Amino acid sequence: MLPFVLYFVTAMFTGYHLYVLMSLVVYGVPVNPLELIGFLGAFALLTAAYISLFRPRAAGRVALIACLALWCFYAPAIANFVRARIHKPAAVSELLSPRATAIWTHASLTEGF
Amino acid sequence: MIVAYSAIALLILATAYSTFVSFRQKPQNAQPSWLFPDRPKRPARIIVGFATLVLVIGVGAWIKLNVANPHTQNSAARSYHFLIPEGYTGWVRIEFEIPGAPALPTESGHTLVKIPPSGTLKTSSSEQYGLASEDYASYSNDAVRPLPDSGPGKRVWGKITGELQGPGENRKYEEFFVGSEQQFKDQVLPPKPKE
Repeated sequence: MLPFVLYFVTAMFTGYHLYVLMSLVVYGVPVNPLELIGFLGAFALLTAAYISLFRPRAAGRVALIACLALWCFYAPAIANFVRARIHKPAAVSELLSPRATAIWTHASLTEGF
Repeated sequence: MIVAYSAIALLILATAYSTFVSFRQKPQNAQPSWLFPDRPKRPARIIVGFATLVLVIGVGAWIKLNVANPHTQNSAARSYHFLIPEGYTGWVRIEFEIPGAPALPTESGHTLVKIPPSGTLKTSSSEQYGLASEDYASYSNDAVRPLPDSGPGKRVWGKITGELQGPGENRKYEEFFVGSEQQFKDQVLPPKPKE
C-alpha cells in the first residue's frame, strides 16, 4: 500500500496547491501554462496511485512521468523563490529616494569613496 | 505556505521512489518488502475502491450543498447590472446590509443596481462574492445605453470593495468612479508639486 499512499497524498497536496494558485484567476491573475502542466501531472499521479494497486512497476513509470510534469512547475517556482530571497535589496535602499541616492553618489565621488 | 512546503517535500519523495521503482532490476525470487511491496491483495483493493467511492460522493454532495444551493449562491458567483444616471461623473457608492433600505431587484438572473442621481445607493441586500459577471449602463428617462468598462472608451474605474467597522455597526460597501481616464486620474493622483 506504500506506493498508493505516497502517490495519492502527493497528488492531493500538489493538486490542491496548484488549484489554489489557478483559482487566483478570479482576481485577474493570469494562469501560468506551467501551472496547467503541473495540474495535469497531479492528475496523472492520482492515476498512478490507482494503477499501483494492480501493477506497481508500471505505476512507478507513470508516477515518474507525472512527477516530471509537476517539476515543470515546481522547479522554476523554487528557483524564482530562492533568487528573490538572495537578491532581496537591503532595507536602506528601499527607503532612499532617487534624489537622496543621487546626492549620496555625488558626495561619494567628490570625496573619493 | 505549509501546503506549498508539504507539496514540495512529498514531490521529492514521490520522485525518488518512482525513479527507484522504475529503474531497479528486480532480483530473481526476491521477497516483497515494505518498501517495494507486491500489489495489494483483493480485500485491500476493495477497501480502497470503496473509500474512493465514498470520497467522490462526499465531494459531490459538498459541491451540491455549497455551490448549487440558492441560499449559499452568494459565495459562488455574482452578477450585477449597474444602472448609472446618464451624464453622471464621479464616485458611485453602494452600501450593503442597511436596515430598512430596499432590497436589490433581480431581473433574468442579474441583480439590478440602479444608482440614484446622488451617486449613493443604500440597500438591505448582502454583497455578493465570487466570480463576477458585471455590466454597466447609463439610463435616462427614455433610453438605456451600455457604459464601457474596458477598452478605449472606458468609463468605469477604480472599483473598491470595503468594510467599515465601528461601534455597533459593520458597513460593507462598494465604490467605483464613472468618468474619463483623466477625470479618474485627477481624483486619485496627488497634484504635481510646482517646480
